Amino acid sequence: MGVETAQRPNTEVRPSDTPLVSMRNIQKHFGSLHALRGASVEVHPGEVVALVGDNGAGKSTLVKVMAGVHAMDSGEYLFEGKPVHVSKPTDATELGIQTVYQDLSLCHNLDAVQNLFLGRELTGPRWGGRRIRRAESEVRAREVLTRMRLGGMSLTRPVGAMSGGQRQNIAIARSILWTPKVVILDEPTAALSHSAAESVSKLIRTLADQGLGIVVVSHDIHHFVVNSTDRIEVMRLGANVASFKSSEVTGEQVVNAMVGGNVGVNLAG
Amino acid sequence: MAHVAPDAPAVRRRSFSELLTSEFRALPIVLGLVVLWIFFAAQSDVFLTPRNLSNLLVQSTVVGIMALGLMFVLLVAEIDLSVAAINGLTSVFMAKIIVEYGFSPWIAIPIAVLLGAGIGSLSARWVTYVGVPSFVVTLGLGLALNGLQLILLPETARYSLSGTGLERIALTSISGPWAWLVLAIGIGAFAALVLSNVASRRKAGLEIPFLQGVVLPIGAAAAFGILVVAILTAHQGIPLVVLIFAILLGIGGYVLQETQFGLFLYAVGNNAEAARRNGVNVAGLKMAAFAIAGGVAALAGIIAASRTLGVGVFSGGGVGGGTLLLESIAAAVIGGVSLFGGRGAIYAALLGALVIGTVSNGLNLMGVENEIRLIVTGFLLVLAVSIDRLIEKATGQQSF
Repeated sequence: MGVETAQRPNTEVRPSDTPLVSMRNIQKHFGSLHALRGASVEVHPGEVVALVGDNGAGKSTLVKVMAGVHAMDSGEYLFEGKPVHVSKPTDATELGIQTVYQDLSLCHNLDAVQNLFLGRELTGPRWGGRRIRRAESEVRAREVLTRMRLGGMSLTRPVGAMSGGQRQNIAIARSILWTPKVVILDEPTAALSHSAAESVSKLIRTLADQGLGIVVVSHDIHHFVVNSTDRIEVMRLGANVASFKSSEVTGEQVVNAMVGGNVGVNLAG
Repeated sequence: MAHVAPDAPAVRRRSFSELLTSEFRALPIVLGLVVLWIFFAAQSDVFLTPRNLSNLLVQSTVVGIMALGLMFVLLVAEIDLSVAAINGLTSVFMAKIIVEYGFSPWIAIPIAVLLGAGIGSLSARWVTYVGVPSFVVTLGLGLALNGLQLILLPETARYSLSGTGLERIALTSISGPWAWLVLAIGIGAFAALVLSNVASRRKAGLEIPFLQGVVLPIGAAAAFGILVVAILTAHQGIPLVVLIFAILLGIGGYVLQETQFGLFLYAVGNNAEAARRNGVNVAGLKMAAFAIAGGVAALAGIIAASRTLGVGVFSGGGVGGGTLLLESIAAAVIGGVSLFGGRGAIYAALLGALVIGTVSNGLNLMGVENEIRLIVTGFLLVLAVSIDRLIEKATGQQSF
């Protein structure tokens, strides 16, 4: 069971034996395209796992299966050790799996609080036209942002007036507002300046330290993946080809594995 | 009074330019309106008389109400070019069932409004399910409705509504102490809303900007209301049509500013895909927006019919919507509603309609021809949007 899982703030949570999510031997076809050929990934509490690979390697498809956007054809999907059926996005969110898409899905004309709660507003009764309980929303938003060490962020400026890094942070904050156990991040540093990417990396580590499992899809091998994750899963042609501990590998080696160069560094298994 | 706890996060002082693109976005339009009024007051002694200002307000209501309904559609980044045709068709339909079938106005009016809402939601369904742009769907629908309007009319091409009781909408005014009572109720409702927000902020332990958040809005609303009611009661009292417009503005403002539905309109208008991913029923929301625009357009049609004591080919601006359609869109845009969605506040309908009504009324007093009025209105439309853009450029702030 999920005894060792999230919600233990400020304690050093080390990867436990039961992974939060474990996907094994996943197969997925899109018509004649064989997108996933026995792909696997698992993430433990407090762990940041990077999924890397060339375009078309299947990493995006794999996380979309995890998030319930695509249903898998066959394979094993375990959540906290138990088999689960995830075929639509709400299945995943109900388990506690949140996704931050690359385009962030923010409304630039709304402020941080409105974006954080979008679609899940705290509202009053129906007869009042579901009036938004703004004050309570602000308090909860401030709590989450403070937990993410983003306490100074303006709650009332339109998100469109903020920097790319701040927007990325708001998108991540939205995903953890509902205390998930796993957060999937799609290219979180892609469009960011070096310093903004640094702050997002820090934020991801903060979340992992609070016991969340983080799955990151990224092309930013040399900076972000090697320096800011715990484990790297390399995919090629819909299957896993290598697995590294981030602290024991260089960017070169990861890239080699991605393009199928030097498979001698394969430490998997 | 409201002291801020010392450990509360400091409120960042916002620059004037930032305010100009957010809370004070209405400032240029209000200033423009003041300039127009000064100009026309200098041209005509009659312009600032209570009688003329009352007329001006009454003349602005139909366009204002149309713009108010249209705003809901514009906010979700769609457009409804059939609102004027809906206005015309539903008012002719209402007149037909009153005159030919003996319906009571009490029944005919709600039927007309529901018909307008139904037509609006139909075009929304076409837009969202078939995927044809709303621009095309409603352009075609508008022409079709114009044709239907002509078919519904009798051979005389006109239904007279005098003696049906409907004329009372335009003829009724609330005068004397009743006018002030109405104002007191209005201000009381607004103050209750503001104070309930303050109460919930206090309960949540949040800071309360007493001057900006309480005194200023209630004070401004009261001052504005007293001024308007003083002018109106100096003539004949509050015309019922003006009161209807004011009530619609109040309801619209509440919906847009306070409710989840209102927030969803802004969200969908800015990023429909994001809203969809977050669980917003985008198609349903658009249908509601079009239904509101259609129903409100029908209501405006009823008021217009009451003012002209009848309906005919001219109802709803005539074939193609005529100037009614263009002025309704122009009013919303002059008031600061974006045609690209997600932007605009409820005051847009009031201010935009007042600008258009002022130009029309003032030029009329000066004895200027109708052609000139169109030219001036057209220029003001472009000018209003240009000023918006120039402010954005000059301040480097994008306004939302």
